[in-house]
Amino acid sequence: MTIASTNAEVTAIDTQARWPLLLMLGGALKWLVVAGVLSLIVSIQLHSPAFLAEYSVFTHGRAVAMAETAFVYGWAANAGLALALWILGRLGGEPLRALNWVVVGTYAWNIGVAIGIVGIAIGDATSFSLLQMPGYAQPLMLVGYAAIAVSGILAWSGRRTDGTFASHWYAIAALFLFPWLFSAAQAMLVWTPVRGVLQAVAAGWFAQGVWTLWLAPLALAVAYYVVPKVTGRALSGYDFAPHGFWTLIVIGAWTGGRHLVGGPLPAWVATLAIVSCTLLLFHTLVVALNLRGAFGGGGTALKFIAFGVGAYVFGGLLDAVTAFRSVALVTQFTHFTTAQQQLALYGGVSMILFGGIYFAVPRLTGRPWASAAFVAGHRVTVVLGIVLLVVSLAAAGWIQGHDLNNPKISFADIALHTRPWLLLATAAQLILLSANLLLLVNFVRSVGACCCCGEETAPAEAPFRPAATMEAHAS
Amino acid sequence: MKNGLVFFVGLFAALALSWGAIVLGSHRQLGALAPFYDDSESASFPARPTGLAARGQLVYADLGCASCHTQQVRRPDFGGDQARGWGERQSVARDYIFQLRPQLGGARVGPDLTNLASRKPSAPDTDDLLKLLYTGSPLHPAYAFLFEERAIAGERSAVALKLTAGLAPAAGREIVPTERALSLVAFLLSLNTSYDYPESRPLPKAAAKKDAGHGAAPAAKKEGEKK
Repeated sequence: MTIASTNAEVTAIDTQARWPLLLMLGGALKWLVVAGVLSLIVSIQLHSPAFLAEYSVFTHGRAVAMAETAFVYGWAANAGLALALWILGRLGGEPLRALNWVVVGTYAWNIGVAIGIVGIAIGDATSFSLLQMPGYAQPLMLVGYAAIAVSGILAWSGRRTDGTFASHWYAIAALFLFPWLFSAAQAMLVWTPVRGVLQAVAAGWFAQGVWTLWLAPLALAVAYYVVPKVTGRALSGYDFAPHGFWTLIVIGAWTGGRHLVGGPLPAWVATLAIVSCTLLLFHTLVVALNLRGAFGGGGTALKFIAFGVGAYVFGGLLDAVTAFRSVALVTQFTHFTTAQQQLALYGGVSMILFGGIYFAVPRLTGRPWASAAFVAGHRVTVVLGIVLLVVSLAAAGWIQGHDLNNPKISFADIALHTRPWLLLATAAQLILLSANLLLLVNFVRSVGACCCCGEETAPAEAPFRPAATMEAHAS
Repeated sequence: MKNGLVFFVGLFAALALSWGAIVLGSHRQLGALAPFYDDSESASFPARPTGLAARGQLVYADLGCASCHTQQVRRPDFGGDQARGWGERQSVARDYIFQLRPQLGGARVGPDLTNLASRKPSAPDTDDLLKLLYTGSPLHPAYAFLFEERAIAGERSAVALKLTAGLAPAAGREIVPTERALSLVAFLLSLNTSYDYPESRPLPKAAAKKDAGHGAAPAAKKEGEKK
């Protein structure tokens, strides 16, 4: 994308929102690197259990919890929310309002995540997947989230046009549903825990809800916005988009029991999840149909999003297949489930968010990326890293699953059989970490070049905007 | 989706419906699950964990042991759980009713621990587990931070590790497990779900298939066998 083309598109909507949104995106990229370091530790421990074992803060369980928290609540949340706000502002046709709240909320949210990760490190993790942060970090995050979301809701209610677009629905659904999910999970699991195995049911409902009702909609809001913008063509089969949307929203959280196949629970919990995973294929099909324009080629942003949409669709198919009991018999409790999670979170959501960042940041700063070579380098390395990571973990998991079902094979042999693939997964984590460092450096340089004063290099330094300018624009 | 109110109500209803069905539905079925009183043994099962074991479960949770070890045995015809000696029956919801934070787990990098205390032919004892936690193994990390090395003051501590050769500390010093290590081991050694509940027995259908029409007989026999 050239300077001319980006400048022509930059509007007051972008310049108004520049610093608050760059602050969030900067936070997101910092967390992405933190998550990368932690994931590398986790990955090394899988083939060399003694690695960092003498430090209690890095036991495998805690490192897994910290990596997951930094990735989902640090990286994906910040990036997804920033892009969702930006898109809601642009679709609404008015500059975003309540941006002071966004800045306050961003600080609160990120401090909350930091407290949560430190809490996990010192042993206060809740031990529920995707809800590992201790109870004392969560209320602050909820307050921060509310402050951030105000701006998005105002952009929706104050939009200039009466009609809405698919990006609108996905972004608003994500903004609106997460606090309900998060507070319901806190109430059921942290403050007044339900009894016995019901905790596993509630935790599964929450974890699948975070994925289907928050992360996936955030990413899809970006994809539905950027794809038609870049290709300049209407989405194909757009009439189906509302059906695809409601299928995800209505069915999504019903997949909550998919990891509980064969567990000490009523069989209907797992069966319901299997049926729901299959029904969700309709949503996946609609997304593939609507966004197939992304595969036609185009700029950097579109290439990232095309990969992301491809991974999202493939991940949806894989989820449906592995939900079945006969397949789950092999893949359950193995690295294969990790591979699926990485395919969804890294391949699907993160790649689409990367695409959104490559699309949005030049428009927010009003100038192109500092280094085109870094952009290309990031794309090549991150694609390589994700493919390698998912393939190696899936292979390791498949071997592990078959070995586990054969009682004659000892755990020492399983470790031996999976070791080559786990080493490959570590290499993939290393590649991903260096890829994301490239993105962070490029981001800091681009944003630094944007500040005319020159001293404000880090987005974290973004000042609060004076109240007077706020009022002038809050119509 | 022009009508904002209907849109938001729809979103909320979708979420509430899934919550009601999955969480409330299973709560309705299992929320009031009571211990099973066995007349022949004059005892109810599962037994409440001791205070030390209950605290040990919190140590298990905070170290994140569940990232490698599960605590759920699947039914006999589903996976090799039983063949690996992890349990003689499938785990059922009643096994967990007294657990503060059940650790079902999601990965089996290491073995399942549901019945660690009733392993055949011989279950590990406190010394075995403490030694594994302190020295580790090629497959298991060593958690030295759960132990403290100190000078022997007067008499040697009763709980000090009995280590040999290269692992032993210098003369006049001893390795003592911290309270966290002791409670974790107490929890691990409380893991035993060998009691057979009515709902944990194999389905009559499966039994009928095996015995070709004498479906009722094995269930009755099983009743008599109950320890």
